[in-house]
Amino acid sequence: MTAPSNQQVLEALSRIKDPDLGRDVVSLGMIKELEVSPQGKVSFTFELTTPACPVRDRFKTQAEDTVGEIPGVSGVEVRMTANVRPAFMRTKPSEVLPGVKQTIAIASGKGGVGKSTVAVNLAAALRKSGASVGLLDADILGPSVPMMTGSRVQPKQSNGRLQPIDAHGMKVMSFGHVRPPGEVTVFRGPMVGKMIEELMRLTDWGRLDYLVIDLPPGTGDASLTLGQVIPLTGVAIVCTPQDVATNIAVNALQMFRKLNVTPLGLIENMSWYVCPDCGHRHEIFSHGGAEAAAKRLGVPFLGAIPLEEGIREDADAGTPVVISRPESAGAKAFEAIASQVAARTSIQAFRQLPVISVH
Amino acid sequence: MEITWEDGTKSTYSGEQLRWACPCAECRGEAGVPGRLSRVKTLGDSELRISDVSLVGQYALQIGFESGHAHGLYTFSLLKSLVQ
Repeated sequence: MTAPSNQQVLEALSRIKDPDLGRDVVSLGMIKELEVSPQGKVSFTFELTTPACPVRDRFKTQAEDTVGEIPGVSGVEVRMTANVRPAFMRTKPSEVLPGVKQTIAIASGKGGVGKSTVAVNLAAALRKSGASVGLLDADILGPSVPMMTGSRVQPKQSNGRLQPIDAHGMKVMSFGHVRPPGEVTVFRGPMVGKMIEELMRLTDWGRLDYLVIDLPPGTGDASLTLGQVIPLTGVAIVCTPQDVATNIAVNALQMFRKLNVTPLGLIENMSWYVCPDCGHRHEIFSHGGAEAAAKRLGVPFLGAIPLEEGIREDADAGTPVVISRPESAGAKAFEAIASQVAARTSIQAFRQLPVISVH
Repeated sequence: MEITWEDGTKSTYSGEQLRWACPCAECRGEAGVPGRLSRVKTLGDSELRISDVSLVGQYALQIGFESGHAHGLYTFSLLKSLVQ
């Protein structure tokens, strides 16, 4: 039997559709370095748009099966890789964050919903998947990222730029790193905006697949500045399940809609608590509020995170739970949500912002 | 100025049209105080010529005119409404 042509293999592979991007994987340019030996051995590279791809394993099996069915194929070798693509098909890099491909903001309508914990763990989960990740703490007045990442040190400076702090393989920068220890920040709104811009601009981020940005709660200066200074890939909104929290999360979402920032979806934190003594599942803040709100608003629901003592303990001790207790329900929830976020982010890589020309 | 929108459609604007649509507080007025554009009848040539356009996040354009006026942030929805 004769070996199939490259064309035949590509035709077969083009039957595989990316569920998030809604197109086939061949026209998306995901199949690379395709080789067919005279003996019918087929090998190629399957390049995903994110290492945290939620359908990674399914793609691999689908590719092996589809190609394996072609007459004349004696073996299939699929090499899975990932290359995060920059948002919005930009032709030139952003001036503020030139080496950063995707910027993901984590926001909430109100404080106390665990937004920083979610931001730190999502960043850590993306890093664990193999992506290069930065974490910017944009909460100027109440920075908590230095503590949660165990990086309470001052950043080094070189050539007038700040070197981000390496914490658990992520590049971290927070106003808490820069201000003198033990001091409190008292700023008016415009200063908050200015400081966020400076932290983004002055930090030497290098090349990053994802920059996760932990915003302060609410719909104030920080969020507005961010929406004006950089083209954000998208925003994920964190809330707790009870009505009072989901109602306020809606405000945050509406604000970002005004700024034309894509909502990546809602995340429900402190969703349930499993009592370590009796094993009973308690839903302290009710349950499913964020999912219902997401449905109402027509945005994706990204997942729910349990209330676990370990998440809090590890955050206080400076190690995100996805690293310290990878087998816990909390860590698994964070990883699943990170995959969802990454998938939604990939969609933005194929969007083009309006093009302006003056003549 | 020409904008190619995400869906491929194009809109064209003149500097004059954009200058008179400036949404800034000085031009529009705020808190019940009428703005400059409701008081003046004519604007000089340098007021009407665009010198610089920059993207604000992904929701608006900041348009600068030769006169130096560059306060207005023209949201995409405002720009779309101008050509309807």
